[in-house]
Amino acid sequence: MASSHVEVPGEATETGTAVVETATGIIQSFAPINQIHQHLCAFHFYADDMTRQVEAHHYCAHLNEEVRQCLIFDSSKADAKLIGVEYIISPMLFLALPEEEKPLWHSHEYEVKSGVLFMPDLPLSVQRMDLEKVVKTYGKTFHFWQVDRGDALPLGLPSIMMALTRDGQLYDHLAKDVENRFDISFEKERENRAYMSGPEHGIHPLANGAGKGLKLELRDIDLPQSNSFPRIFV
Amino acid sequence: MASSDKEPGSTPLGGGGEGEGPTPPGQLTTMGSKLLDKGAKMLQSMKPVKQVQQHACSFALYAHDHTRQIETHLYISRLNQDFLQCPIYDSDDPLARLIGVEYIVAENIFETLPPEEQKLWHSHAYEIKSGLWVHPRVAEMIVKPELKWLAKTYGKFWCTWQVDRGDRVPLGTPALMMSPQGINAGQVRPDLLKSRDDKYKMYSSEELKESRLEIEEPEWLNPNADYWKQHGKGFALDVLEMDMKCMRVNLLPPVPESL
Repeated sequence: MASSHVEVPGEATETGTAVVETATGIIQSFAPINQIHQHLCAFHFYADDMTRQVEAHHYCAHLNEEVRQCLIFDSSKADAKLIGVEYIISPMLFLALPEEEKPLWHSHEYEVKSGVLFMPDLPLSVQRMDLEKVVKTYGKTFHFWQVDRGDALPLGLPSIMMALTRDGQLYDHLAKDVENRFDISFEKERENRAYMSGPEHGIHPLANGAGKGLKLELRDIDLPQSNSFPRIFV
Repeated sequence: MASSDKEPGSTPLGGGGEGEGPTPPGQLTTMGSKLLDKGAKMLQSMKPVKQVQQHACSFALYAHDHTRQIETHLYISRLNQDFLQCPIYDSDDPLARLIGVEYIVAENIFETLPPEEQKLWHSHAYEIKSGLWVHPRVAEMIVKPELKWLAKTYGKFWCTWQVDRGDRVPLGTPALMMSPQGINAGQVRPDLLKSRDDKYKMYSSEELKESRLEIEEPEWLNPNADYWKQHGKGFALDVLEMDMKCMRVNLLPPVPESL
């Protein structure tokens, strides 16, 4: 199934609100958002649970040739939920990351070469021009909204997300659903992309969780005294 | 492993690293990439991002350290009357860095959340009434109705790029953020505020405070929100390692073709 069909609680947008937003929409500039130039569809799974897989629509902007930043939505529709973010960096930058940071990042080689990562509505040959670069990159993804378990709101802690790294991981029904809706054949694209090569030095062994499951946990911290209300006693 | 409140390990990409300033390192975007981008933008429908209708500028504090305060730029999309979703950037520049995401809900939605969830959220009343939250380049009069609504909402903001500590790429786990409040370390540093007000040359926060006197405070602020105010506690995130839950088929290694 594509996006979560669970509706976000709340009343329909009131006319007064819509009027204000029409005004702000016209008057203001949204420069960082206008930089977003590319829609990319792929799948993520939870870094501690590969059985939970999510169709992820990335809306990406270049910060420079080696760093991209993406908003992740659960669909490509107007009412899509903003479920997470992904940052994409070149292999050079990945190598410069601290060792403890590297496991949070995932490789893109398999997703691109297998055809499951694609750019809707772009001619395939044009897609490949960019994917030749993406295939070598590493990504870091957090999701904030667990739509796959039916959450109507973004509850709980963020989830570290990972990307597919080999055949046999992606659920058939998810793959077929995307192929049908976007009129694409992953198998065919895999053939077309056979010429592409991943990171020069191979996929770093610490990437993709370094082979382990990863999960985030909350910790309480005592803040310095001055942060809370003044105490009655000195 | 990484934590939201710990300095990243040694790297030229982290805070205080060698080399030049905080912009992400790397070659500038090539002409080839730009052309591809233009092409993509023309052919692909970008519906979800076209829903952004408001730009707001405010401030936030790290939940684990209120002395670290940042200016935030929210690009707001409305899913319905009671729910907003906002990517957050560190400036309004075209090359602003995406530093996190905030969700904003009306108080009636907030009240349906379990207490453990509510602790992760913050109130907006103070930010609005004190003039910290502005809609750049829009006259107050136009956004007044929206401000009245926002004053009674709650937000949940995860920061994914700690640019204020000099990280040149996003490092570590997401960090929970809190909103400015009128007491103690919850107050925004005057230099940060001045820098923002000077940039937009609109009303100063003082003038806005005056103009917003008429905005109603919420009748009641849920004590689970802005958790630090009554409990003196902040929150940090840690990464835990564990065995990944896999599909059965993956428990067997692939058979090499040569066999």
